[in-house]
Amino acid sequence: MSSILNGIPYVFVAAPLFAFILNNAVPRERMRSHAVALSGGVAALQLAAAILGFALLAASGRGEVRFGLFWSVDAAGAAYLRVNLVSLFLLLCVGFVALASALTAAKTIDDHRCSFANLFMALLLGMNGMLLATDLFTLYVFLEITGTASFVLIAMYKSSKGLEGAFKYLTMSALATIMMLTGLALLFMHTGSLAFADLGAAALSGASGEMDILCYGALALLISGFAIKAGAAPFHSWLPDAHQSADTAVSILLSGIVIKIAGAYGFIVLVELFGDLYAVRLSVAALGVATIAFGALLALVQTHFKRIAAYSSVSQVGYILFGIAAGSPLGLVGALLHVFSHAAFKSTLFSGAAALHEQLGTLDIEQMGGLQKNMPVTGFASVTSFLSAAGVPPFAGFWSKLLILISLWQAGWIGLSAAALGLSILTGAYFLRLQKKVFFGPRNPRWDDVKEIGGTIRASQIVLSAVNLGAGLCFPLVLLYLQSIGLI
Amino acid sequence: MNGWIPVLCVLVPLLGACALPFAGKRSPKIRNALALALVAAAFAFSLASLPAALAGEPLAVRVKLPLGLSFGLVADALAVFMALTSSLVAAVIVIYSFGYVREYDNQNEYYMMVVLFIGAMMGLVHTTNLIFLYMFWELSAVCCWRLIGFYREEIAVARANKAYFVTVAGALVMLAGFLGIYAQTGTFDLEAMKGFPLPAWAVVLILFGILSKSATFPLHSWLPDAGVAPSPVTSLLHAAVLVKIGVFAYARLFVGTFVIPEIFALAVPVIAALSALLSAGLALRANDIKRVIAYSTVSQLAFILLGISSGTEEGFVGGLLYILAHAVAKGGLFLCAGIVEHSVHTKDITKMGGLAKRFPLTAIAFALCAASVMGIPPFSGFFAKYLVIDGMLAAGHPLLAAVFIIGAVMTVLYLARLFAKVFLGPPAFPDAKEGTSGMVASVVALAALALLLGLAINLPGSLAALIWEAM
Repeated sequence: MSSILNGIPYVFVAAPLFAFILNNAVPRERMRSHAVALSGGVAALQLAAAILGFALLAASGRGEVRFGLFWSVDAAGAAYLRVNLVSLFLLLCVGFVALASALTAAKTIDDHRCSFANLFMALLLGMNGMLLATDLFTLYVFLEITGTASFVLIAMYKSSKGLEGAFKYLTMSALATIMMLTGLALLFMHTGSLAFADLGAAALSGASGEMDILCYGALALLISGFAIKAGAAPFHSWLPDAHQSADTAVSILLSGIVIKIAGAYGFIVLVELFGDLYAVRLSVAALGVATIAFGALLALVQTHFKRIAAYSSVSQVGYILFGIAAGSPLGLVGALLHVFSHAAFKSTLFSGAAALHEQLGTLDIEQMGGLQKNMPVTGFASVTSFLSAAGVPPFAGFWSKLLILISLWQAGWIGLSAAALGLSILTGAYFLRLQKKVFFGPRNPRWDDVKEIGGTIRASQIVLSAVNLGAGLCFPLVLLYLQSIGLI
Repeated sequence: MNGWIPVLCVLVPLLGACALPFAGKRSPKIRNALALALVAAAFAFSLASLPAALAGEPLAVRVKLPLGLSFGLVADALAVFMALTSSLVAAVIVIYSFGYVREYDNQNEYYMMVVLFIGAMMGLVHTTNLIFLYMFWELSAVCCWRLIGFYREEIAVARANKAYFVTVAGALVMLAGFLGIYAQTGTFDLEAMKGFPLPAWAVVLILFGILSKSATFPLHSWLPDAGVAPSPVTSLLHAAVLVKIGVFAYARLFVGTFVIPEIFALAVPVIAALSALLSAGLALRANDIKRVIAYSTVSQLAFILLGISSGTEEGFVGGLLYILAHAVAKGGLFLCAGIVEHSVHTKDITKMGGLAKRFPLTAIAFALCAASVMGIPPFSGFFAKYLVIDGMLAAGHPLLAAVFIIGAVMTVLYLARLFAKVFLGPPAFPDAKEGTSGMVASVVALAALALLLGLAINLPGSLAALIWEAM
């Protein structure tokens, strides 16, 4: 078993890399029709490997598996990559969302399928690399790979909206790059190392016990940088433009997982390293409140289906930040589970957007109405996604939010816990509006002949709604499992 | 231990509901029969767990989970009483629906949501854990949302959203209260928390949820607005079953589990008194047949809340009996209103009149149900109201008892006015037809039940007394 476990981490690097090479080695005209299937295959492989790895690692009782690519990691001080339960769970989420995206892409992507597959692999590699990294600089490099792949994915169809969205994202990301690099430089200046093992609140304060003002500056810069990447308020303005203008298969990737790996995972690392500093956790929590409120309030007034979904992502990232800020194992578990449940319900919602766009040719919700009758599967899937997002039990989103609330309460942040609870009524509000305008309200006679979508999008909607509901229904079992492996 | 009976009682309707749309694609007849069978099954399972509950050894399953969560279903006397009441009335309403909704779209969803709602109700009354209580609570709100918006008109969907929004906002505040309790006790399990003295702020938070669900002033306005729903829905959700969730939660949490500060033995009856008088006044002025009955529901719910919060045996037993009596009688009233409105296509009572000639059976059923709600002996409503007011006197609040007697008088007034405007006077719709035999049979059955329960009041009465002892 141990050898399987030691082999699994290589999958996350090798699979996208080999697929990338294969995709370019085979002549384009022959690869064209298989490129999206190849992407889906890699995603499915990653999903399976991550599930297996998680189960094996949890059963083995080891904290992490270290590995190097072309070097030995046994020597003292050697750099290494690693997977632990947190990163395996997030790798699982990456695989899951990537699969949902590939299923949608099979229908929505017509041109440049090979380029899509190339960028898809690059994006996967970037996110996997971030999750495997054990020092801040490697993390940063893979973050840039993730970002670059995302820009091109948004802009590749050269629509004016897409170019505008990508440009906005690029500009904001450049700002994030400057902040992060400066922050890293300041930290490096102080500690002489950026490996996770050498960093920590104690390392910053040094022998005197007083922390240098520059270290505070470095942390503030890093937090701001990741906040931009996560689309946290007040740095959220690029996100709806970028996510709305991309092809829906790309929006699923961006909203479903990229903001969480590129942004929220950064906060997980920061809190893990510097969580002893109250100021770090407090700033993450403050970002969380602002993000939930801004995202939800702005989602209330949008009229474009994908824009509502994008603002909803902003808002939900706030909950994830809350869980991380609590700084306790329970909070982290809640945040990670919310990454998963958000990945599931947001992929559902965007699959719905893809279905509506394919069938109606528009995503303006003012023009829709009563589509439940024409598109029962899409309608039902969007209801499961709404209920999971609004934290209505027994859907998956309820349980992850509940754990986050409990962890906030245990951390002594009763006011924040109450705010998180109160703001979730806004989630209900914008989704009720969406439901009313699109599926539930009076029928618009213009769409009398519209039919339900078929093929992979329909299949992915069915599977995703089953995940929204099933993960929630099985949650007591999940809790028992987490308890048995000692996570809560 | 036959713990599987309460489990089946919850799971059969919940899972069965999901099969209904598929059955409906095959044949509407099979779907309708299955829907009725599922509700009847819930009733049968509750009946099966009655003997053990009476013997004081309720059937139960309990599974411990991490973080102070637990999954438990216990069919104690209170749960069985509520389950029997709701599934019985629901079964009649389902039969009525066969005739009422047959010409509309979205019937598959309709039956699914009705049965799902009954499943949620069964779960809610049996559960032993605050989080699962919240879960079933929200599930019922979701069903309510879809059902109010059944006609898919702009106004219907807007009102559905309003009902959902108000009750869910209330429930979230309640959840905050639950979390507060959890922070102090480390558990969500009701049995583990028995006798825990609850701080006042937690009571207030939870009361928000209860008042919003049971449509009590000042969170009552969604209920009259929800009259845009089809009448069987109004009857099921907004008279017979859903609105009882709040008062049930009061009994389960504040009487059966926690010890709450003294002040609430006065504060809650005062809120109830305000709610009763205000809504009775509104009922007197309303001209929409369903609005009148809906305001009457708000007013009668105040009676139930008063009884249950009185802290005396008479009051508590009266409150419970009124849950039953009101479910039957008010359910019947809404169904009668449905027959009238379905046939004459208006809800404005000023345009009606003389319908007793055209709808003789409906008029009789309406009169009998109205008599029960008014509290006229020997109907079941009389005994319940009498006990509630007696309980208020026993608790030493003669003034509040007097207010409620005024409320009862107003009930007589507005129901008599409604009956006169709709059924008496010169005939306004000479060609109106009374509806299908199933619909008429349903209202007659409920009216007969309202009378029969009054004659045999000692049966539910002794069960209610047993519940009080078990508290």
